[in-house]
Amino acid sequence: MAEKPQISSNTTSANFSSLPVILLLGLFSLPLLVMYAYLFIDTISDTEAGSLIPNEFTLRHWSFLWETKAGKPNIWLVTLNTFIFASCITGVILTVSSMAGYVLSRLNVPARGFFLAGVMVLHAFPSVTLIIAIFIVLQWIGLYNSLIGVILVKAAVELPLGIWLMKGFYDTVPWEIEMAGTVDGASRFTVWRRLVLPQIKPAVMALGLFSFLTGWSEFIMPQVLAPGAKVQVLSVYLAGLIIDDNNFDFGTFKAVGVFYVVPVLILYVFFQKHLMNIYGGGTKG
Amino acid sequence: MIAPAAVMIFLFFLMPVVLTAIFAMTNMTTATGISGGAWQVTQGAINRLKADMPDLAGGIAEPRFVIDEEGLAALEALKLKAGFSTELRASHMGEVFPSRREAERMIKALKDRPSTREVKQISDLFNRSVLNTRFETRDGLMASLKKLGFTLTPAEQETVATATYTGWVWTTENFRIIGNSPDMAQIFLNTAFYVSVTLLLFNVSYALFLAITTHYMPASTASIFRAIWLLPRITPVVIYVLMWKWLTWDSGFISMFMGQFGYPAKNYLLDSAYNAWFFVILINGFIGASMGMLVFSSAIKAIPQTQFHASEVDGASRWQQVRHVILPQLRWPILFVTCYQTLSLLASFNEILLSTRGGPGRATEVWSLAAYHTALNNYTGNLEYGLGAAMALVLVVVGIVLSLIYLRIFRYDTLISKPLIED
Repeated sequence: MAEKPQISSNTTSANFSSLPVILLLGLFSLPLLVMYAYLFIDTISDTEAGSLIPNEFTLRHWSFLWETKAGKPNIWLVTLNTFIFASCITGVILTVSSMAGYVLSRLNVPARGFFLAGVMVLHAFPSVTLIIAIFIVLQWIGLYNSLIGVILVKAAVELPLGIWLMKGFYDTVPWEIEMAGTVDGASRFTVWRRLVLPQIKPAVMALGLFSFLTGWSEFIMPQVLAPGAKVQVLSVYLAGLIIDDNNFDFGTFKAVGVFYVVPVLILYVFFQKHLMNIYGGGTKG
Repeated sequence: MIAPAAVMIFLFFLMPVVLTAIFAMTNMTTATGISGGAWQVTQGAINRLKADMPDLAGGIAEPRFVIDEEGLAALEALKLKAGFSTELRASHMGEVFPSRREAERMIKALKDRPSTREVKQISDLFNRSVLNTRFETRDGLMASLKKLGFTLTPAEQETVATATYTGWVWTTENFRIIGNSPDMAQIFLNTAFYVSVTLLLFNVSYALFLAITTHYMPASTASIFRAIWLLPRITPVVIYVLMWKWLTWDSGFISMFMGQFGYPAKNYLLDSAYNAWFFVILINGFIGASMGMLVFSSAIKAIPQTQFHASEVDGASRWQQVRHVILPQLRWPILFVTCYQTLSLLASFNEILLSTRGGPGRATEVWSLAAYHTALNNYTGNLEYGLGAAMALVLVVVGIVLSLIYLRIFRYDTLISKPLIED
């Protein structure tokens, strides 16, 4: 971080003032800022009809935390489901793609080029178009409306990205470490497990965080593949609240929304640097 | 070590691709079910039969009377005069009467002279009909029809079996519907409009604008703006769309704000097709802009500083710098973002589903959303899996073709290097 401001100030200071662009961009950013500000404000305040300024403090919008609404599952069960969903996806993606990525990066397996090309096509391929077929398959094999089914599907869909990223990370590890390991008589599995994997710990963590956030935010797969009350995740729960016309109350929606988004924001703020690697570089193929 | 990945990708990725193609060739719906069906003479089946075989259709629809062992056993259990069953068995076994009148005339003529009440009682026992009976096999239905006195040629049997089958069958009808229906043409135009406008205005132009403006800012300010514009991407989509709904609702922010100037409150999201498109494109564009912003920013950062210094010494204006230094070097990133985002815009319908649900009317229905509505969620309740799969198949094919092209453009072969340890 230390040298960054210097570089930028070199480019910006000379002939140009940066004030106009800041003002312009600030103006464009206003809608977003307003929406996010009111997302938080509206959860703890009441506003008179026809006014934009809140006039009283209240916690009633948060009542969903201690009262279960009729016809809706308990919020803590839903949160637990979401947590299980996101963690399992993370676990599966990390395990499977760290192994497959290593193979594709380092081992001379048959059809390696074909595999790599396949992974890359799948990575670009929009998986959500497959949801109709997946829906029918899950009904056939009886995993419809279960967390296991939707976890496997979501993890499989995210795998190509994971494998591709891991392959990229392994590519940066120097060969010498492995050569030393094999010369000392370790098997390739041991070399991978003991020598190579520790080298890319930060990358594994970044992919893990990314997978967790993706799982936490996923909406359409759980909505289609596991909509039942017992296996509902937060996104489906919130969408169900919003669609219910009888209890239309933005205060509650937003409170649930904040409850749902806060873990994301916290993770993001703390691990911004790791995640930027993936958001920016990961999709570069 | 690669096996788990291969198995998972095969099961939940490649198989669905193939299955989408397979389902696209069927007429699967909620009504037909997804596993095999049965044979059942329903009112609908009779209506279908009427065109080809009017006599048979009329005959099947009416109850028929068959003197069979089952009916005789029931008659004996009734403990009426023993003569009835003995005589029926002896001289009428296996006879078929196409109407109640004829059956009762025969029963009345029995030697033991049954009373009118008994005639009715007896005839009821021999009332046989296939109407609405479920047959698990085709042969079951045919055997029953034969017992009822319908003798059918193999060709006629085939027609009956087709008309009465309740399961799904192979068909290419779905593609004909996609090709001919004006609704589909409208949805296709919607999709083309939505993808091209969002892509041009936001995913590329606005992303470029963000990347270039943040480039001309002090680093700390720039990182604040980048963080703000990343928010739409990292916020879970349900909340993100919820905020837009709040902004545009009857009692939402825009309505209240315009209310200060005397405009009546209205739902800005759904009041007209024009507004719906405006917000759908904004909602998606704001998300799409962040990816372009990140890719373009890192590409601009990779431009050697000396080029900027040199151009400033030469007195280039900021616009000239953008035009002649930055843009020419962003050609590949722009192409990349265009390819990548075309695919994701084509396929993703999360945001539209959550905001307008394709409304008002079907104004903002795009292809992927229409496939979802057809196959997985609609108001009529009859989910047309087959047609939906056919619509998805169009996207799958487009997706595969585009990603293959994209693979070629970005010179995939340069990404593979030979392993250095030989096993």
